[in-house]
Amino acid sequence: MNLYQPYLMRIEEAVDETPDTRTFKLVFQDPKVAESFDFQAGQFGEYSAFGEGESTFCIASSPTRKGYIECSFKEAGKVTGALRKLGVGDTIGFRGPYGNRFPVGQMEGHDVVFIAGGIGLAPVRCVIWNVLDQREKFGDVTIVYGARSVGDLVYKRELEGWAKRSDVKLWQAVEPGGEAPDWKGEIGLVPAIVEKAAPRSADAFAVVCGPPIMIKLTLPVLEKLGFSEERVFTTLENRMKCGLGKCGRCNIGPVYVCKDGPVFSAKELKALPQEL
Amino acid sequence: MSTRILTKADLAGLVADLLSAGTRVVAPARVDNPQVAAYRPIASFDEARLDGPLPPRSPKEFFLPPTEVLLRWQKKKDGIELQEVATEHPKQVILGARPCDVAAVEILDKVMGWDYRDELWFGRREATTIVSLACRGVDKSCFCTAVGSGPDAQKGADILLVPSDGDAYLAQILTPKGQALVEAHAQRFGEASGAEAAKSFREAATRKVASNLPIEATKLSGWLADNYEHELWKRLAMRCHGCGACAAVCPTCHCFDIVDEPEGIDRGVRRRNWDTCQAGKFTVHASGHNPRGTQNERFRQRVLHKFSIYPKRFGELLCTGCGRCARACPAGMDLPEILGQIAKLAGAGVPTGGTK
Repeated sequence: MNLYQPYLMRIEEAVDETPDTRTFKLVFQDPKVAESFDFQAGQFGEYSAFGEGESTFCIASSPTRKGYIECSFKEAGKVTGALRKLGVGDTIGFRGPYGNRFPVGQMEGHDVVFIAGGIGLAPVRCVIWNVLDQREKFGDVTIVYGARSVGDLVYKRELEGWAKRSDVKLWQAVEPGGEAPDWKGEIGLVPAIVEKAAPRSADAFAVVCGPPIMIKLTLPVLEKLGFSEERVFTTLENRMKCGLGKCGRCNIGPVYVCKDGPVFSAKELKALPQEL
Repeated sequence: MSTRILTKADLAGLVADLLSAGTRVVAPARVDNPQVAAYRPIASFDEARLDGPLPPRSPKEFFLPPTEVLLRWQKKKDGIELQEVATEHPKQVILGARPCDVAAVEILDKVMGWDYRDELWFGRREATTIVSLACRGVDKSCFCTAVGSGPDAQKGADILLVPSDGDAYLAQILTPKGQALVEAHAQRFGEASGAEAAKSFREAATRKVASNLPIEATKLSGWLADNYEHELWKRLAMRCHGCGACAAVCPTCHCFDIVDEPEGIDRGVRRRNWDTCQAGKFTVHASGHNPRGTQNERFRQRVLHKFSIYPKRFGELLCTGCGRCARACPAGMDLPEILGQIAKLAGAGVPTGGTK
């Protein structure tokens, strides 16, 4: 098998998260691959709709859940448009897992704060479940999640579940004007909600993902709250084709996001040219 | 390794031997326009133009084709069936390639092999023996000596031919692959002679090229990394159309795209195609956000990738000084001239005197 040959995966479940965002639960067709496949929180893959091409998404499910992977994507172009037309029983291609990982092991024994905006919850959700599935190993868990409007919130059923848990502090927010009449959450932008939530920062880790502008404005808030820039992590979503450090697309300065990333600490981000 | 002599008649004989054994021979060769030569498979030695002009395109396409199939897919009743492509290739000899073009292939081995080995690239690499030909220096755009190479550089070659007395070439055998080729065609190679003539050829060529751009481009990396926002980029990129001609002719540019193409209603191929960081949509995110939204950033990326990013990653420049980008640019962007400007800013305008 050459590097660019994907595995075939069967769509086991398909859930529409929002009018334009879909989640697939995927199972390897080849039982041998299914058995040997392993990944870590933060890694990504190249998903293909045959006839349209490949698209890069993180693996949105947790490595603690074996036997399948999940991905969530927003329809934005040709490939995601074609993928969205597929349903249960259909076949897609998958190459991966690629890239580095969130240091979940290092987070053990510490408070963890998860901050996400929009579809950026997908890579964060992978870490959230990785932590919640071994809940006893971690300190306080805080989740701050914001989207443009109530309709744009993804993983709604899981949000409901997290809201009910006593061992998770969940802050949900929508932008002004994005609320529904029965909205009980916050109204405002993610960085402001993080400031309001003011999670304890001593020895704590933070995982941040969302649109570039949200990340840019959230990092200073975390710094102000006292988070160490070595313990704040984000995942970059640069355009990629190969995922293997060859096609030359995802460079930021000297960094190949596909191989050196996609997970970077705030400290590493600061050292990069501001080409995000 | 050892040195032999190869007369032009024996070289013609060697090509005939290779062709009759079914080996593909690629060489700079005649095309319709008599002013131009192109690297292409030849059917006889007569078609080759070893001493002709520098082909406008490098032979990188014989390792990384402008377009190649990565896989085939077909819809079946119960799903999709994939068909793999071969990663083994028939034997080929690249003959008479310039040292700048040949060095590029070895430089690209690094990116094609780090962690993930690109079998499509290395399949062709393994099937290929490279017999390069020392260059007399082409024109003012040549700057191989400024990037640590030279008109007689050995890098990437299995055998290097250097013009010597009369019609003969001094053949330097550089690798086991080169040795195997010589042993398989031993009757074509004579005892070495004419080393003096070859030496004077090399020295004259090196002097000629070195005077074009007397800098050491390896010393630019620090300045480039520290001057990301320098006004130089804005000024230079004003002229750049982003057409990507530089990348198409460049022996070391290797960026590619992966796309699907239908071949009927229920089947198709996935292809890898040459691409360029100079194209506006190269880095556009799904959201529409573009981290390199202007030509300034895209032009800077090309220069930095070659003279800062790649050297940091892989320990060598991603440029062999062939000068093709300068010759091909419709807007007159002249990389050797630009490197000269950068060297001046970096205080790295060190005359090399043609040393390697």
